[in-house]
Amino acid sequence: MYAALLSNRYLTSRVIPLIAVGAVALCVALVIIVVSVMSGFLDMLKASGRTLIGDVVVSSGIGGIPNYDEWLADLRALPEVEAATPVIDTLGLLRMPYPSGPSKEIAPVQVWAIEPESFAKVTAYGEKVWWRPPADEAARDAMLPDDPRLRMDASILRDGLTLSQGATGKPGIVLGMHVSVGNARQSDGSYRPRFGWFMPGEQVTLTVVPVSETGKISEPRDATFPIVNEVFSGVYDVDKSRVFIPLAQGQELLRLDAAPLYDTTAEPDAEGNLPLLGTAPARVTKVLIRAKPGTSALDARDAIEASWDAFVAKAARRNDRLGRPPERVSILTWEQQLRDLIGPVEKEREMMRILFSIIYIVCAGLILSIFWSIVIEKTRDIGILRSVGASRLGILWIFLRYGLAIGVVGSLAGVGIAWVVVDNINLIHEAIGRDAPRAAWITTAAVATLSLGLALRALIWRGRLLPGLLWTIATITCAIVTVALIGHRGTLIWDPSVYYFSTIPSKVDWFNAAITAIGGIVFSVIGAAIPAAKAADVDPVEALRYG
Amino acid sequence: MADAATSNGRDPSVGAARIGGPPLASTKPPILAARDVHRTYRFGQVEVPVLRGASISIAPGEWVAILGQSGSGKSTLMHLLGGLDRPDAGRGTVEFEGAPVSLGAGRSLDRYRNRDVGFVFQFYHLLPELTVLENACLPGLVGGFFGHARAAAARRRAQELLEIAGLSHRLRHRPAELSGGERQRVAIARALVNGPRVLLADEPTGNLDATTGASILDLIASQHAQGLTVAMVTHDAAVAARAQRVVHLRDGQVVDG
Repeated sequence: MYAALLSNRYLTSRVIPLIAVGAVALCVALVIIVVSVMSGFLDMLKASGRTLIGDVVVSSGIGGIPNYDEWLADLRALPEVEAATPVIDTLGLLRMPYPSGPSKEIAPVQVWAIEPESFAKVTAYGEKVWWRPPADEAARDAMLPDDPRLRMDASILRDGLTLSQGATGKPGIVLGMHVSVGNARQSDGSYRPRFGWFMPGEQVTLTVVPVSETGKISEPRDATFPIVNEVFSGVYDVDKSRVFIPLAQGQELLRLDAAPLYDTTAEPDAEGNLPLLGTAPARVTKVLIRAKPGTSALDARDAIEASWDAFVAKAARRNDRLGRPPERVSILTWEQQLRDLIGPVEKEREMMRILFSIIYIVCAGLILSIFWSIVIEKTRDIGILRSVGASRLGILWIFLRYGLAIGVVGSLAGVGIAWVVVDNINLIHEAIGRDAPRAAWITTAAVATLSLGLALRALIWRGRLLPGLLWTIATITCAIVTVALIGHRGTLIWDPSVYYFSTIPSKVDWFNAAITAIGGIVFSVIGAAIPAAKAADVDPVEALRYG
Repeated sequence: MADAATSNGRDPSVGAARIGGPPLASTKPPILAARDVHRTYRFGQVEVPVLRGASISIAPGEWVAILGQSGSGKSTLMHLLGGLDRPDAGRGTVEFEGAPVSLGAGRSLDRYRNRDVGFVFQFYHLLPELTVLENACLPGLVGGFFGHARAAAARRRAQELLEIAGLSHRLRHRPAELSGGERQRVAIARALVNGPRVLLADEPTGNLDATTGASILDLIASQHAQGLTVAMVTHDAAVAARAQRVVHLRDGQVVDG
């Protein structure tokens, strides 16, 4: 009981333990923030990967998959498959509608030609189309008054979901949110048109290069599309480069549509026509599949592999020369598809966890040195306690309990700090990314001036060295901060082009937070244990005589 | 409380006539005794014998003053009697109610210091972080897991003792806010809170002026009058004169008493 009384009193009546509490809090907060961001990053990577490509991806070579409709029908009949959609995946150049004047900017893009309806069943495309009116009153209230979405009607969303311009009936294009320079991200995560450019309604010209099955490059082909909407996936790489066009237009541009095939080895007839061999079926280069709920991606993949083999066998039996599917296609689950991306991030997270956990040792060392000095200072108290019957274990427990209290308070404070920082990490990042507001450096300059006055008062008028020194340190610190703020021109720490995502993950990994907090407590007690043992070993007579 | 210093307040079983007389151990079994105790301190390679076969016997209810010059071994003898220290191995024993104290294990020595004896030191030795009441309660909080009931009892007893010591208006003050005499009164209340049989006072007035010192001795006398055994170390013959019996310690040995 006296141990509780004394350790609480030591904790609350002194400044040094507060330094230890601060050190534990910062260590714990640092580890939680780093691991939370890394874990969030990993989760976002996995979640977004799945929502963008479905559960299983089937990719063919340049020649594509002929008679894909037939195979899609087979796939959709599988009990493991919820939905499947054909996609053409190719590269292209997009002639943007800006700047004004004849010379326009050209952006390299990854073109996905899709069937919007089935694509939305496999992926989260429908939810990712950005420009749309608020779905309900709650969504409307959540938007800032200048959000352009407040003034939109359902037609823009419909156009985005169907990839066609409702007003003209033309096939449209949907751009990734960062393909153009026209979108400025706001602190609430919404977008405003930049430089006066609002992309939907503008025209862009897409140029692609058809490649034959043998790898022969044909003449580049282009088509002009109205932009009907934009899509925000959250994965910067995707948002920066991906555009969506209707599948039929993609097939036509890339010459993957159904077309008559002539025998070029034969002699032309009297009218100059070559003999017609038949019609080559339309092709796609990818099929994306969503597994039935409750079916794992791996199980679905096995079923899809079997279905593919059956499809190839069927085509072989038919001896269909024009529509023979490739013997081998790549069939990967979303995790396998993203393995190259996820694997290094997982390793990086573990590495960071280990590296940052070394901070605990620093923390324990700090507590050890602080406690050591406290034990030396409190030697006489230890002698007094022994004289009134306190046992060595009792003395040990006072200091262990003291370390435990510092660990618990510090760890809880660390979890709190981490929660506040992680929860507001994007706001903090954006604040760092902007020029420092004038009010900030004026405030620090005012504090520096005040500190200088107090330092001079302490040193000159009162002749006190310690407060004078402390106020001088405060003055110098505030002056440095002021100069840094004046010179601050915005620093982009989280470069979305490096980290894939346009926002920093902002969810605390509570399981890791709990483990980290327990680690903070354990290391605090370990740090306190050595001075506590020294305290327990104090000879009471010596302590009373010389303490 | 000052009146309590008169001979009227003393234990009738040990009258004033006994001061300086033969040890009561001869007539009554001692409550506390040191028998031929040796204590040598080692400072590096140098051995300094402080006690060289000191013996003392203190009867129940007796007030004994141990008088000696600085360095004579008074405080060391006090520490041995109070179980804070042990004699050199195999060289003497300390007995409390006939049972050896110094042979006990750490736990029994802790219990002995907690329940059977109470210490008062020259420099008060109060814990600066605790209030007057908490300091006085401290022995009551030490040495048991039967928390609240024991703590409440200790608190009540400490309040009574502090009231007797004239400090009931200072319960929530910190030691730094008290005078030297007040601090020593708190130390006495702390020493008595667990109702020990023996009070061991090491120069209790050594750091106080004469008037304040006298009031402290009055307080001790008042407790002695209620049957408390007191062993008091001092180098001041005038202070020692307040005791029933004075023993002299010279060069680590009790030379009389």
